[in-house]
Amino acid sequence: MIQHDLHLRYNLAPGWLEPYVQGLQNGDAIASSCTNCSHTAFPPQLTCGCGASERRWVKLDGYADIIHKTEGPDGSFALVRFKGADTATVVRLEDLPIQDLHGQITKSANQLPQLVLGPLPAKAPL
Amino acid sequence: MTMTPSAQAVVSGAALTPFDRRKDGTGFRDWSRDAFNAALVMSTLEPQDLDAIIVASESDFFSLQLNPASILATDLGLTGCAAMRCEGGGASGQVAVHAAVDAIASGRMRHVLVIGVDPSASSLSGDAMRGLYGHSFDTWSDGLTGVTSTALYALSYKAFAVEFGTTEEDLATVTIQNRANALQNPNAHLKRADTADQISQSPLVASPYRKLHCSPLSDGAAALILSHVNAAPAARKHAPRIAGIGAATDHMHIGARAKPGNFSAKTSAMLRATRMAGITPDDVGLAEVYDAYAGAQLQALQALGLSDNAAKDMQAGVFSPTGTCPTNLSGGLMGQGAPVGATGVGQTATCALLLEGRYHEKLQTQTIPRYALADTHGGLCTNANVTILSQGPGA
Repeated sequence: MIQHDLHLRYNLAPGWLEPYVQGLQNGDAIASSCTNCSHTAFPPQLTCGCGASERRWVKLDGYADIIHKTEGPDGSFALVRFKGADTATVVRLEDLPIQDLHGQITKSANQLPQLVLGPLPAKAPL
Repeated sequence: MTMTPSAQAVVSGAALTPFDRRKDGTGFRDWSRDAFNAALVMSTLEPQDLDAIIVASESDFFSLQLNPASILATDLGLTGCAAMRCEGGGASGQVAVHAAVDAIASGRMRHVLVIGVDPSASSLSGDAMRGLYGHSFDTWSDGLTGVTSTALYALSYKAFAVEFGTTEEDLATVTIQNRANALQNPNAHLKRADTADQISQSPLVASPYRKLHCSPLSDGAAALILSHVNAAPAARKHAPRIAGIGAATDHMHIGARAKPGNFSAKTSAMLRATRMAGITPDDVGLAEVYDAYAGAQLQALQALGLSDNAAKDMQAGVFSPTGTCPTNLSGGLMGQGAPVGATGVGQTATCALLLEGRYHEKLQTQTIPRYALADTHGGLCTNANVTILSQGPGA
């Protein structure tokens, strides 16, 4: 066997996904909303199920309900639906108590555009 | 026996190498040569008879070899023939089979070699493979987030389990049966007699999936030589035919699917293939289905229309070696193994060998059905490809 290391540094251009990617890096959920049928997708879609390809970008409030959850040594992941979105998405769960069925989009600690769901912000005392 | 009008491709040659983790210093070019040589002998053709080589390989990351079709054309003494590489994630092998069938049906090719190969086990570490596989899904959502393949399959299976009421016992039934079949397959990677206790106590990977519910990463190759029915060698005139092929895609994001637990692309692909073959799913008498995980087999059986209640029929033995539709006699991906590019080619080769009565002695069905099904998919059933084979005329 020959040992051979190959180190690759990619410069990945988000292209049309730029608003969504920028949103994730800021800890925001930026969805696409079809200008024809108003279907709101998160992650966004270049072409809507209705066939239209014009969209406007909408900022969701970042609150999500957990539909299904899986846990293991590589982390906890869930299929969730963000409030205001017509589609669900898969996210990584971070610091979310196991019994919690809701969470808030959270900025990734490693500067990557990652779909991370954390605990809901604590309510301000009255 | 009448032949389906569309069945223009004859399986002249079919072969698989062992699927395992190679520690003998051989590489993908050796395995490709071995599979090719065995298929060529079976076909009775000569290398110069081949018009094209189509190579299925999922990723250059595994082999560190771009343009593998040209390399293998040279290695196999086929310089001068046409060469291409097909890729469709886990479905790469079946995509290549379909490309070969189309080339033959067009009349442009008489004999086409399909090689499926990947060094999925020995080239890179398990962690590196896991990281790469995350990019089988959408890099900008799942891949960069670090979602693993197993986690995505687990989430889809959970949705399926809610709809169909499947249980941990059902996952164990699939696991035990596939590994028991693999025990009788001398070329299988995981020859294990798993028990329900061993399965439930194996390490958690992504709930509900434990290590023993998962297919392994394997090395290996498979080869098919398909011939136009009018050009088939005399010795292969009665060989199995490709009766129907069908392919379809689903939305890349499972959260955008109407039912994240349903492998809908498989249903569409199967409908196209059965229409082409002029049959219904009930006519399928044996199947090799894409069991990347135990639950994925249940999802596949349901989506392909092989059962109205996959878990119940698994428990009842419908898909056992003595059932009405023996499934994954090879051991499937879970038992035989999964060298990605070789998987779909190997499934189709296995079906052909079974239809000819040439499969491993302890797994060969005594009664040979008329139709067999090879089912392969890429992504989370994002790219579904199925092939229906039939017995040759007079077989």
